[in-house]
Amino acid sequence: MDSLADLATPITMGILYGGLYVVIALGLSLVFGVMKVINVAHGDMVVLGSYIAFVASTSLGIDPILWLVLGIPLFFILGIVIQRFFLYRAFKMSADAALIIAFGLGLIIQNAEQLAWTPLSRSLQTSYSLKSFQIGEVYIPLVYLLDFIAALIIILIIHQFLKRTYLGQAITAASQDRQTAELMGINPARVYQIAFGISMALAAVGGVFLGLTFPFTPTSGVSFLIIAFGVIILGGLGSMTGTFIGGLIFGLSQSLGGTFLGPTGQLLVPFVMVIVILTIRPQGLFGR
Amino acid sequence: MPEDVLLNVKDIDVFYGTLQILWNVSLEVLTGELVAIAGANGAGKSTLLKTIAGMMHPTTGNIEFLGEDISRKNAYNIVTMGISLVPEGRGLFPEMTVSENLMIGSYNRNARALSKEQLCRVYDLFPILKERKNQMAKTLSGGEQQMLVIGRGLMSNPKLLIIDEMSLGLSPLIVNNLFQVLHEIKEAGVTLLLVEQNVWKTLHEADRAYVIETGRIVMSGDALKLCEEVEIRNAYFGV
Ligand SMILES: Nc1ncnc2c1ncn2[C@@H]1O[C@H](COP(=O)(O)OP(=O)(O)OP(=O)(O)O)[C@@H](O)[C@H]1O
Ligand SMILES: [Mg+2]
Repeated sequence: MDSLADLATPITMGILYGGLYVVIALGLSLVFGVMKVINVAHGDMVVLGSYIAFVASTSLGIDPILWLVLGIPLFFILGIVIQRFFLYRAFKMSADAALIIAFGLGLIIQNAEQLAWTPLSRSLQTSYSLKSFQIGEVYIPLVYLLDFIAALIIILIIHQFLKRTYLGQAITAASQDRQTAELMGINPARVYQIAFGISMALAAVGGVFLGLTFPFTPTSGVSFLIIAFGVIILGGLGSMTGTFIGGLIFGLSQSLGGTFLGPTGQLLVPFVMVIVILTIRPQGLFGR
Repeated sequence: MPEDVLLNVKDIDVFYGTLQILWNVSLEVLTGELVAIAGANGAGKSTLLKTIAGMMHPTTGNIEFLGEDISRKNAYNIVTMGISLVPEGRGLFPEMTVSENLMIGSYNRNARALSKEQLCRVYDLFPILKERKNQMAKTLSGGEQQMLVIGRGLMSNPKLLIIDEMSLGLSPLIVNNLFQVLHEIKEAGVTLLLVEQNVWKTLHEADRAYVIETGRIVMSGDALKLCEEVEIRNAYFGV
């Protein structure tokens, strides 16, 4: 590293594509907040979002980001259906049963993708895929900036929804005290459905930006699940600010790890950092 | 005072798993009354209230509210019908602000349209909550937290407000203030059912009372008469 610009490039890139992790982690965190279950299929749902956008773009010629106008409501409804007819039935028995159902769902998604699209690596190609922009001496791929903008927009929308609407407040209340929430007239099953629907809608968004940023295969979901998990414990469970900052820090450390240690450092460095931060602050950066 | 029965609990048995907690419990609350339930630790008071509010269900017997059987209904439906339970140990939403805690109290569809007026009413009853409205609920003092959960209970626009252990851990001064507010609430037409360990205070405030011992109702009647009876009993048995 001989000049400052050499360092500025991975720093800027990491922070920007960290936005992708914010979007993915937020969906995981929302469901965990109300159900206290880690949806182990979340990464696979995100990758499913990538594949569906891939089809929309290759077969129908729809721009992946534009596709979200349809993709978001589609995934939202899919989420409600999955929650209502599969997850919730198991959840009523026990949280462990729901975990196993989610695990199975993830496997089904992966295998269906292998059948439909082969195990080969894919990516979402657009007219702006290879474009980059310049800040000072630093050149940054445009899609990384889009990841960041997407994260900002999503965080603002979800924050407003949770703060300003009765439904959002019901989700917030149920995350803090499920029994008391019921006494307020909140039907937990409905809250789980809405939260899961939103989580799936976020998976649709995450899937598109994932596909624009990185190549993906049917088994990519697992690594994104682990990253999202790392982000929410880093930021602090249940904190939106934490998820936002956590995602960006994760992207940053991944990018720096990759620059200094090569491909092996890309996951090693962020997770070592997660462990170090948790040692100092066990509740995460913004946890209570 | 209209003499119609608002809540009618008839011969209920309630279990936690295989452990029977309530035996043949019956109780009536008339519209406009302030009824108290007194009893020692572990007598089953909270269990009774949870059963009325739909968080638990009786194995035998039934519970009627305004003539309708509610014993199999869920908690979130019962609050819509007009029963509001302020749970033991407060149970506020710690990471929500005071005003958010209050507003979520009017979540049910029968209360939502009236939420603005209700909020004003609650702020009138508890002006301190208005001063603290943007503060996180967890930062309130114990007394303020109790005011908050009572206020939140009122936000659902209940016909029957049930409060479990309101005085627990509060100074006598604050307890007196809270009882004053309860009387205002009662004047405004809300029927009240209270559970207290602090028997004396409660019996002096209530119209009628029930005494519950190891899951059974052992005494009931006019609150002041019960006071005397309890006094005599204590004198004889030195309990
Ligand atoms: N979740 C539970 N599982 C099993 N037993 C329980 C449970 N909750 C309460 N109990 C038991 O039920 C009995 C009655 O409890 P309850 O909470 O109704 O008493 P209480 O009269 O409200 O007591 P306190 O004055 O201490 O609040 C107690 O023996 C208690 O141990
Ligand atoms: Mg109790």
